[in-house]
Amino acid sequence: MPTPASASAAPASWTSASYQSRTVAEELIGRLSSNSVSCEAKLKALRDLKNQIIGNRTKKLSFLKLGAVPCVVSILSSATTAAVAAGGNDGLESTIIQSAAVIGSFACGFDAGVEAVLQAGALQILLSLISYPNEKVVDAVARSLKLIYQSKLGPKYDCLKSIEFLLSLLNSENENVSGLGASIIAHSCQSSMEQNALGDAGVISKLINLLGGSPIQKDSSLESLAAILKENSEVILKFVGPENGPALNVVTELTKDKHPRTRLLACSCLIVIRNALPSYLQDVRIKTKLVLVLLELLDVPGQVGDESPFVLSSLIVGKEDMQKLAFQEHAIDKLCSHLEKGSLQPKHIEGIFLALADMCSQLESCRTRLLSLKALKFVTDSMNHDCAEVRAAACICLGNVSRSVENLSAGTFANEAVINPLVQLLSDTSTSVQVASIKAISNIVLDFTLQKSTVIKCGALKQLVELSKSMDSTIRANAVCALRNLTFLVSDRCKEELLLELTQSTLLSLVSDPEPSVQEQALALIRNLVDGSIDSIEHVFAEDSVILHAVIRQMQNASKVEVLIQGMYILTNVASGNELHKEAVMNQLFPEQLGSTQSIVFKSLQSSDSRLRTVAAWALVNLTLPSSSGALKRVTRLRMAGIDSYLKNVINDPCLDVKLRARTALTQMMAFGDGSS
Amino acid sequence: MSVFWFVLGRPADFESMASSKKVITREEWEKKLNDVKIRKEDMNKLVMNFLVTEGYVDAAEKFRLESGTEPDIDLATITDRMAVKKAVQCGNVEDAIEKVNDLNPEILDTNPQLFFHLQQQRLIELIRNGKVAEALEFAQEELAPRGEENKSFLEELERTVALLAFDDVKNCPVGDLLDISQRLKTASEVNAAILTSQSHEKDPKLPSLLKMLVWAQNSLDEKAAYPRINDVSTATLEDPAI
Repeated sequence: MPTPASASAAPASWTSASYQSRTVAEELIGRLSSNSVSCEAKLKALRDLKNQIIGNRTKKLSFLKLGAVPCVVSILSSATTAAVAAGGNDGLESTIIQSAAVIGSFACGFDAGVEAVLQAGALQILLSLISYPNEKVVDAVARSLKLIYQSKLGPKYDCLKSIEFLLSLLNSENENVSGLGASIIAHSCQSSMEQNALGDAGVISKLINLLGGSPIQKDSSLESLAAILKENSEVILKFVGPENGPALNVVTELTKDKHPRTRLLACSCLIVIRNALPSYLQDVRIKTKLVLVLLELLDVPGQVGDESPFVLSSLIVGKEDMQKLAFQEHAIDKLCSHLEKGSLQPKHIEGIFLALADMCSQLESCRTRLLSLKALKFVTDSMNHDCAEVRAAACICLGNVSRSVENLSAGTFANEAVINPLVQLLSDTSTSVQVASIKAISNIVLDFTLQKSTVIKCGALKQLVELSKSMDSTIRANAVCALRNLTFLVSDRCKEELLLELTQSTLLSLVSDPEPSVQEQALALIRNLVDGSIDSIEHVFAEDSVILHAVIRQMQNASKVEVLIQGMYILTNVASGNELHKEAVMNQLFPEQLGSTQSIVFKSLQSSDSRLRTVAAWALVNLTLPSSSGALKRVTRLRMAGIDSYLKNVINDPCLDVKLRARTALTQMMAFGDGSS
Repeated sequence: MSVFWFVLGRPADFESMASSKKVITREEWEKKLNDVKIRKEDMNKLVMNFLVTEGYVDAAEKFRLESGTEPDIDLATITDRMAVKKAVQCGNVEDAIEKVNDLNPEILDTNPQLFFHLQQQRLIELIRNGKVAEALEFAQEELAPRGEENKSFLEELERTVALLAFDDVKNCPVGDLLDISQRLKTASEVNAAILTSQSHEKDPKLPSLLKMLVWAQNSLDEKAAYPRINDVSTATLEDPAI
């Protein structure tokens, strides 16, 4: 019996075929650019070109390389000039229609094509034809323009300058033209100034009218409404206001529309409203409805299914009540079952991971469910995916799932199958993947030695140290944060190992990093480093206390309260050590040449940030501990600096932590007399 | 004592249930139906919707003239749509593609699945006509790149190219692709896509109305005996069985 294997014998004819098609293509371009060809022949060539490229990316690319786009745009240009001059002409108008169709196809789903079309100057010619008297010409031109504006590379239209023009498009009887107006708004309206201007000009009521039109009009109207309403409560209040009747109900009804794309866009629109004005759409039925519709849309093949997890994510991100609701509607199971199906588009997988990540950001029940479905395997598998966005999304998902203290302590993530691919991604070519993997590692190593040792075994320490020297400050800050978490509650031996890899000089330069977020993480790392045994406190005293000096310097110049907080924690930890340590802290806080300037510890006690007040009071507790031999000397010094009045200001602090520690410090000082004598 | 009562009580319960089903006589029923008013224009619209969606352009034109019902779509576009459908049904797929692109170039550019199925149908026609070399070239040039873009296309492509491997294609495992039903499937896919692009429903309203009638009768059966329509093509009321 013959086997189908013979079917793959084709490559022999591959070269000849592509050679042949290339010559055909060149000949076609020749006909288009020649001046000696008749109008009919040129029209036929345009039509041939159109039929070759529609739906066919490969051909779009090869014709693009042969210079087809400028060639067609110049045909469009001269046909337009001639047709306008002649006051209409069938042949010329057919040429315009065909060339507009070719241009539109080059701009459809093909970034390089959009660039070429814009570069060749097609946009202005097409816009000039939008009110041409022949309806067929207008249809073709509006379609092409819409495809250009729908591309992310399409130019932003200046909504503020040409509101009149946009209104005239929206008012058009022609469905393609009104759809174009809505597409331009959806693509171009971004700033709140543009949103307000369009709202004031009456665009909203036009768009509401279009909601009752054809499916195409509905979709483009919903898309532009979302753009105009996004994060702008002022315009939203106008939209839901009485002058627009039951507009909100209309959009809500459209979440039940027969067309999946319409349902998706209606959901997006409602979510935009909900996220900006939380008082709207609080009814649990609507919330449930949104979740159910979006989960159901996951099954729709193509763009709608690919986009639905992103919309779901915008609904639940940062909202525990919505995450809980989605969990009750089995969102985790549904999302995971999609991953199980396999052979999905990268965009779809990315969206699913991001939605799962949002689901698992707060609720332990979600994380447990995801792990019980054995979905962790899909996450780690996808860390090798070709598409960088998928790799990053998988890391973000793992990062959030690994917030589960229960599973961290059970060592769920402490195996090489999970950690290895994650560590590999530290050296990924994409920065966003690197950042996502650092963040995930950072989370995994936080609390439990088992994870820490697996991560170090997989070679992460060396990589993280390298990344802490990155040119990119986001990578630097995240890498130092991961090292900080790695240093949290580890043995002295581990700290030695880490310092050996990191080196004193790198740590020093991280403390003095120009970026406050990096400074904060570096100080937090040192705080963890000097936490614990007396021996570990010695780290900041190495080489003439170079680290300690740098810390104090940063605290004096801090632009961010978090830097001060971490710095104060370092001093507090050091002050918990032996006499020498305590004295060193005293000398840093109250140097002899301080003069009349206020000490940082007192400044911190007066901070408006209760976290800083807390740790400052704590430092004073450690410095005044009566059991240590030098306590009396220090208390006397502190009193001379005026500690009593500062502490008395906070003994009734609204923050309990501050109050408690301030009172402890005061009580300890009383042991040495009340200071009045 | 109470058990005895319960056993005795059951037949009585059954009786009362049976008698609770209301009987509606033909007279009563027809009187009720007469009270329902349906506008002639609405019925005409339903008929027009059916003719337009199914593509009976001549009938639609005649009906427009005779009844004065305006179709919700330009009748010329039906002719175009039917021409596309017919071209696919006859195996002139290239011709059909050109016609679709003339009608609206966006349809095939934004519908990769439909575009693939049309190209696949083109390949099937080449194989049907024994043009092996041409078929291979076409598969390589046009279809292979689509397969690279989408895994499920690749599987379908492999299945189609497998036709070339068999001597007796009619009886081979993938012989169904050569079947006329494959053409009809592709043709109806194009038809639906064109209708959607024209913002028109893919399906006529009349069949769903009849479905609703059948459903309503089934629901009513539980509560009442009434003159039922059993044959929707004649819509004859049949006396209730008592």
